[in-house]
Amino acid sequence: MSTSAATTAAQHRVRANIASGAPLRIHGGGGWLDAGRPVLDAAPLSLADDDSIVEYVAGDLTLTARAGATLASISRATGAEGQWLALDPHGASAGTLGATIATGSAGPLSQAFGTPRDTVLGLEVVTGMGEVVRTGGRVVKNVAGFDLTRLFTGAWGTLAVITEATVRLRARPERDETLAIALPNHDEMEGWLGKLRALPFSPLALEMINAPLAAAMGLERRAQLLARLGGNDDSVRAQRQLLGALGDASRAPDGSWSALAAVEPPGCAVVRVSASPSRLHALWSRLGSDDGGSLAHATVGRGLVRCIRAPSGTPSVAGWLDAIARCEGAHIFERLPAESWNMIPSRVHDSLSRAVRDAFDPARILNRGILGEHA
Amino acid sequence: MGLHTETRSPASGPPPDDSSGRRRALIDTTKLAALFAAIVGERGVLARPSELATYSSDGLPGYRLRPRLAVFPTTKQQLIDVVRLLAREKTPFVARGAGTGLSAGALASGEAVVIGLNRLNRIISVDPVNRLAVVEPGAVNVTLTRAASAHGLHYAPDPSSQTACTIGGNVAENSGGPHCLKYGVTLNHVVALEVILANGEIITLGNADGGEVDGYDLLGAFIGSEGCFGIALEITVKLTPNPQGVRTMLADFMSIDAGARATSAIIASGILPAALEMMDGPTIRAVEASIYATGYPADADAVLLIELDGLDAGLDPDVKRVEQYCLAAGARTVRIAANEAERARLWQGRKKAFGAMGRIAPDLVVQDAVIPRTKLPDVLREIAAIAARWQIQVCNVFHAGDGNLHPNIGYDSRNADESQRVGFAMRDIMQACVDAGGTITGEHGIGLDKLEYMPLIFSAESLAAQCALRDAFDPERRANPGKVVPVHSCREWRGA
Repeated sequence: MSTSAATTAAQHRVRANIASGAPLRIHGGGGWLDAGRPVLDAAPLSLADDDSIVEYVAGDLTLTARAGATLASISRATGAEGQWLALDPHGASAGTLGATIATGSAGPLSQAFGTPRDTVLGLEVVTGMGEVVRTGGRVVKNVAGFDLTRLFTGAWGTLAVITEATVRLRARPERDETLAIALPNHDEMEGWLGKLRALPFSPLALEMINAPLAAAMGLERRAQLLARLGGNDDSVRAQRQLLGALGDASRAPDGSWSALAAVEPPGCAVVRVSASPSRLHALWSRLGSDDGGSLAHATVGRGLVRCIRAPSGTPSVAGWLDAIARCEGAHIFERLPAESWNMIPSRVHDSLSRAVRDAFDPARILNRGILGEHA
Repeated sequence: MGLHTETRSPASGPPPDDSSGRRRALIDTTKLAALFAAIVGERGVLARPSELATYSSDGLPGYRLRPRLAVFPTTKQQLIDVVRLLAREKTPFVARGAGTGLSAGALASGEAVVIGLNRLNRIISVDPVNRLAVVEPGAVNVTLTRAASAHGLHYAPDPSSQTACTIGGNVAENSGGPHCLKYGVTLNHVVALEVILANGEIITLGNADGGEVDGYDLLGAFIGSEGCFGIALEITVKLTPNPQGVRTMLADFMSIDAGARATSAIIASGILPAALEMMDGPTIRAVEASIYATGYPADADAVLLIELDGLDAGLDPDVKRVEQYCLAAGARTVRIAANEAERARLWQGRKKAFGAMGRIAPDLVVQDAVIPRTKLPDVLREIAAIAARWQIQVCNVFHAGDGNLHPNIGYDSRNADESQRVGFAMRDIMQACVDAGGTITGEHGIGLDKLEYMPLIFSAESLAAQCALRDAFDPERRANPGKVVPVHSCREWRGA
């Protein structure tokens, strides 16, 4: 397969910087530059202009695009064929495919469709060794060779610069509607969540939001569940009835999901905490309370609560982080004020991760420091 | 495809263990057997050639490689002790589950020993609330679904060999199965692995508590690494709720082309069947002539086995649409299983098709490749032309919904001329799949069998990068040496 001029240009940049030892900061649309740790003293390597869709065969439900293609442009192309890329990371739709994959970002649709690791079929990258490498392929099932696709997905650009990706698409459901249901009170919550998980169908999204977040989205200020139902008319009718047994369900306003994606003010701090689904009740009671200083939402099927703190919020960032850190579960810090990062452990502290980094970016040219790793 | 040689050796053994290129003195086999016996007992070590014959092949003809020893731990601690002993003795090893891999990936030769994991077959726990299970690597795939069924759950990846294959083997191969069209492959169902690396170090990949994982996706990298990255000690997987309703349909066609067109139409329509399987005329007739006969129309040139599942309420409209796509593509009849017994019968024919074909010829090559789904009609025509050119009989039975072909060739390996023609035909089929934009394996893996095709789909740099990942897990390359990536590619990366 031939290598595009843009890939060759990226390769030249990486090689030049390997030679000089100067680090590079990979840029997509620029919407995520405050996510992850600050990358200092690095020259930008922008992929934003390399934004074309390379190949889209609707009948195969696969699409190949350059890393700078925005999710919005992919959505326009696939929408015309009744299909979609089922990735809806938080942030503006100007986000790029490359950044979504590099950061492993996912949104409410991950309830049904998983995260980028479940959707990416193949990549073209420039490694930190300055080599152009293709991983995976363009077909939906593939076990040829070691899985570099998974390795580079979610690696935050620290192993390789993603220049192109092939992704699996889905057919858009015939009917796609969102219902809102008020969350029950604290005492009933655990049993209610059990019933929600036991529903005999898979909603496209099941997202709990606390009252401050609902208000910030322009919805009624109350803690509620947004349930996105998809399927044919008969199926969605049945889903609606089943869901109705969990509380009074009303149609959520159109645009609720884009409002959720865009709700984060610039400069906010964001932390995700997750555990097994049966512990979501405990997590939510600690992190999702309406007066805990967070805009909070939870992806029910993933047992995951995402806490957003406005820049001017109370308590202090340190106090807020401390309260979150005391919650049992896996913590992932998306965005923090620059000065707060020194409280957070490195994401790649183990010897195997270091060996992987050494294999692909021994000179620490790419996004140096973004994972908290030591050079 | 190694049919042109009766036996072939792996492309290399482990690398020399010092820079001077001198190989460390290899531990004597008798002594090693005694050390193994001290860990697992005498009955857990096989050393005689007659005993090792079983472990010399994996069901793919053309490859017979006898390991010098095979050792069978029965507890996790024994497995750890065995791997650490091998690390001390710098001895390469090949982990083996049920030996159903079909790519010669679980064969050992030269200095390597086989570590048989089939006695580590316990289901450690089933957590119906969080829909998670923890199993040992040798647990047989279908036993997990049986254990979960009391809770209305099942383990979704269901390779055709599921009554024999192990979940550890599934992890190594990133196995699929008919229902992975809708539910995903092994990668999508494994939450965490406890792994012992070749150097004896024990690490955890993923998060057994079900929460997110930070840092590199080393779990994803490990799955499908064909035993080259280490051995899974414990495997935590997701369990999937059984669907409320299932509809299983059989559509029969008078040409493969018509069946392929129906497949493309269903996929493009956006209906996502739980499974969409195709069998061609020779396969149908082999099944119907066997004890697995299920009532497939024996004069058809293709049948599609289509399963839809989900809420009962939504199934019938989709069944009608699928029926229309089939009829529009030229189906003679579309039949819907009336009850569970009929459904099971329709599936039996599909799941036992390889067994039925095995009756017809002394040897059967079960091949594996993937193409874009829109290319099904073209590539199936091309495969028929290749079969005619080399005067061989190809039976196609495969996962049509995701374009995962299994062109199978029955032949007699004692016939050198026929064996050679089969080898050439396989090479042409692989090339045709690659030319169509596909890949050389969808679920069986590279093993030894497809090493020679890797350069068809990966550049030297891309192969070298794969090798570099292996070296991060196993710098001495003692875990399943010589498999997956041609060894010369690795040397190039090291020199970079």
